[in-house]
Amino acid sequence: MKEAVMIPEQYKQIDFMKVKKKQKRVRFIKGMLFLLPSILLFSVFLFYPMARTLYLSFFLTDNSGATTVFVGLDNFKNIFTSPIFLKSLQSTFLFVLYTVPGTIIISLFLAVIANEKLTGIGFFRMIFSSTMGISVAAASVFWMFLFHPTMGWLNQFLEALGFEAIGWLTNPEWALLSVSISTIWMNLGFTFLILLGGLQSIDSHLYESAEIDGASYFYKLRRITVPMLSPTLFFVITVSFINAFQTFGQIDMLTRGGPQNETNLLVYSIYQEAFKNYQYGTASAQAVILFFIILLMTLLQFKLGERKVHYQ
Amino acid sequence: MKQLFIFILVAFSMLLSACNSSEGNEGEGTANAKGGEETKGKTEVTFWHAMGGQAQVALDEIVKKYNESQDDVQVNAEFQGTYEETLSKYHSVGGTDDAPTIVQVNEIGTMSVINSGNIEPIQKFIDEEDYDMSNLEANITNYYKVDGKFYSMPFNSSTPVMYYNKDAFKEAGLDPEAPPETYEEVEAAGKAIKESNPEMKGFALQAYGWLFEELLANQGGLLLNNDNGRDDTATEVAFDNEQGKSIFKWIERMMDDGTFANYGTNSDNMVTGFLSGDVAMFMQSSASARDVIDNAPFEVGVAFIPYPEKEERQGVVIGGASLWMSKGKPEAEQKAAWDFLKYLQKPEIQAEWHVGTGYFAINPAAYEEQVVKDAYNEMPQLQVTVEQLQATKPSIATQGALMDMIPEERKIIETALETVYNGGDVDEAFSTAVEQVNAAIEQANTARGE
Repeated sequence: MKEAVMIPEQYKQIDFMKVKKKQKRVRFIKGMLFLLPSILLFSVFLFYPMARTLYLSFFLTDNSGATTVFVGLDNFKNIFTSPIFLKSLQSTFLFVLYTVPGTIIISLFLAVIANEKLTGIGFFRMIFSSTMGISVAAASVFWMFLFHPTMGWLNQFLEALGFEAIGWLTNPEWALLSVSISTIWMNLGFTFLILLGGLQSIDSHLYESAEIDGASYFYKLRRITVPMLSPTLFFVITVSFINAFQTFGQIDMLTRGGPQNETNLLVYSIYQEAFKNYQYGTASAQAVILFFIILLMTLLQFKLGERKVHYQ
Repeated sequence: MKQLFIFILVAFSMLLSACNSSEGNEGEGTANAKGGEETKGKTEVTFWHAMGGQAQVALDEIVKKYNESQDDVQVNAEFQGTYEETLSKYHSVGGTDDAPTIVQVNEIGTMSVINSGNIEPIQKFIDEEDYDMSNLEANITNYYKVDGKFYSMPFNSSTPVMYYNKDAFKEAGLDPEAPPETYEEVEAAGKAIKESNPEMKGFALQAYGWLFEELLANQGGLLLNNDNGRDDTATEVAFDNEQGKSIFKWIERMMDDGTFANYGTNSDNMVTGFLSGDVAMFMQSSASARDVIDNAPFEVGVAFIPYPEKEERQGVVIGGASLWMSKGKPEAEQKAAWDFLKYLQKPEIQAEWHVGTGYFAINPAAYEEQVVKDAYNEMPQLQVTVEQLQATKPSIATQGALMDMIPEERKIIETALETVYNGGDVDEAFSTAVEQVNAAIEQANTARGE
């Protein structure tokens, strides 16, 4: 008995390791197999372009984007000493600061009031989420008419009230704000819909028991609605952040980066460098910077923001 | 396992090729509607252009006529978006089989396309059959002649003109038939208009680098050194002087008078402003002449662009685009394309093009055609645009600058103009612009490895 146990145990030890190794390998291959489609797609559409961008950022290029001169980190040095790029960084951060909180607060407000159970509330829900169905281009044209210096409704309204007309898109002090306002409007629909969905999935028992305890409306809002909504809010904030950093369409339509580069957001600046000035090297360097900014912001949000998120 | 891998690869490449082919079909849509059997035995020529709106209608009509006029060549015209988009696309496929036979490139893209090395200079075909380019308008061919050689065939050309509201001029007691010619006269007219109608501004200048270049050339100023980049590659700007600054100073004076209307970089807003009577004069491409005249509820005047009193009028640089032929295409295809290019220069085709769009007729013989005469009777203003071009004194200044970084220069100038429009300091805005353009020239020269 003793012998019988001893010997096999030795073998078992070896066998066990082998089997484990083999199992591990099979599991790894299986896993890889499942991942293969996305790895393939990602490498063609994401990893390769990313590596290529990084590579290009160390070179100067000719007009077709072929590399000509290796300049090392000069592209990065140049953009960080260029007042135009620094201005564009500043505008981008300001734009994010205007649009993200603006969108979230307004759509949260709309979602909360649209969550009340009233007759005909479906109509308002449809109206509030309707901007989702409008493309950026169409919405920009619509806002361009509103912002027109002399014939736009906004200025006609101001003048009717006895104020002076504002150069919404031509005055450098207003342009970024004007673009932000139109962007907030465009983003409202999507954010509203997600938040409303989040609100509707909150268990009504929570409210009922709070009501029995005599909690006020705002107490419930603060202690039940917002904490229970926090995963949705977190998602919406992250997505809005990334979207805001990548804004392009409305800039191209409304201001083309003007007046005085005041609305020359990062992605638009990249577009101009690459496809108008044919400086693919500089453009790639800017794209790399944008990548790191978004990476950093998202990491920060997960580090700091997620702590406050309450998952059920 | 291996089979699965191969299966995925195949599926994936099929997906990719599906994307490709659907894209290809989409592009062919416009002029190749008949396609199929009809093209059998014909040499096919692909023609990428950037003509949207009214101009596309006119161009498609011309292409259709050409295809019906003979049995050997089938031209497929494909709209590719704006000039910038077309040029970017061409740069990315240039030299491959996907490149079109003919591509339309705007005038400032000239150097960029030559440097790419993917085109066949049309001089080759001109030499082969002794084609007479002197039939064409000299002020236009001057621009496209680089180092004594024709690289591309001029096609749609325009210059800026000054549009003005004749009714407003009458009301202000100005002579509607004698539009202001100099900066100083424009200022005075602006003041008179503002006095008679405080709601109306005098003059609007879109913040657009092209207009700055034209105003500079009109007083004989050069944009770039080394003879506007035509003698040798430019190394720095040549407008860092009184001539360059005079344009900024002029705007500043009108702003002080309160007669300048600021529409920023948006030309649509400016035209709408003019049509609704918010501003009495503005500068814009002659290609919009038809649009503006047709849509204005008042009488529109067209005049030469202004110049400073102390200088002499030199004239304008040609704007617009020309047609380029790809290198590396089969000879038959190139020959077919050349035939189409020659067809486009015929007086009757140019007459149709001129009247339909407001672009110039490249071939001056077109002005003798009946269509054009009829149009001039109806809209005498159209003639002014041609007169301004023909009154231009040939010189390096009016030949126009050549360099691949001109799009960047324009953007920088636009920013500087906007700074002044918003009350910024003229000297500071001007010297910043000069500095930035010089840096851009240096960068572009290093990038080419020179």
